[in-house]
Amino acid sequence: MAEISGLSFGSTIDTLGNSLVGASMQNEQIANNIANANTPGFHRSSVSFKDALAAAVDGPATDPDTLPMTADDDRQFGMMTGPVPFDPKPVTDDQMKMRADGSNVDVDREMAELSSNSGYQQTMAQLLQTQYTRLREAITEQPK
Amino acid sequence: MGFYDSIDISATGLSAERLQMDVIANNIANASTTRTAAGGPFKRQLVIFSEKQDPNATSESEAGPDGVSSTAGSSAGVEATGIVQDQSPDRLVFDPGNPDADARGYVHYPNVEVVKEMVDMMTASRAYEANVTAIQETRTMGNAALNLLRS
Repeated sequence: MAEISGLSFGSTIDTLGNSLVGASMQNEQIANNIANANTPGFHRSSVSFKDALAAAVDGPATDPDTLPMTADDDRQFGMMTGPVPFDPKPVTDDQMKMRADGSNVDVDREMAELSSNSGYQQTMAQLLQTQYTRLREAITEQPK
Repeated sequence: MGFYDSIDISATGLSAERLQMDVIANNIANASTTRTAAGGPFKRQLVIFSEKQDPNATSESEAGPDGVSSTAGSSAGVEATGIVQDQSPDRLVFDPGNPDADARGYVHYPNVEVVKEMVDMMTASRAYEANVTAIQETRTMGNAALNLLRS
């Protein structure tokens, strides 16, 4: 599901595609939070897809105070430090009870996140479009 | 997960808030109703909202290793699970000449406070608008993705 690959034209297109998937998942969670704005006891949820995206590019986040456990021989085991598949998961935010009815949805915050997520997604789509245009220029040898 | 699941979720919010508006309108319309089919004055009605669970969701919603519970995409918006009656006492008005007055001369009027209903109505209206905005943003995002085909 959370994977756009296949023909690999470089990792940039894969990363941008993953960012679109992540933004879409985040949008779904925000829409759900807004729909439940008046549901007593509801807990908001969100997708930390940017962490998953960083892990898919650089490997999982490591504690800066610890040394990574690397392997320099095939017969050794190292801790996994390479890139991991992009697989963001929605998580429920159980912190921060702010309303008398037990819900922690703040509609102002959700609307702000909705807007910024939409802007992010459009930026990524624009960048992806630029990548495709460059690819087409390379294929047809006809710069736009 | 389709891209337009978000619109379905927002649509559940729209219909729930619309039901809330219907019930509030009914409360205001019956703010002085002293006779009902069930006998006695009209009772204020309340809509119960609850989170809707996706029937197709897998049962992955246990707490993860880091202590945060994962909903694993099981959310599917909101639903109104029922309309219940407000059990608070009736509003008593002393009016011995009224044919609905009791033995002591008090008329039982509904426990509807119109000002409170107005406030609830504004809440429902704003929540409805928030869902409409969410749908518009989802559409914008969908259009941005579709425009990739034009490059």
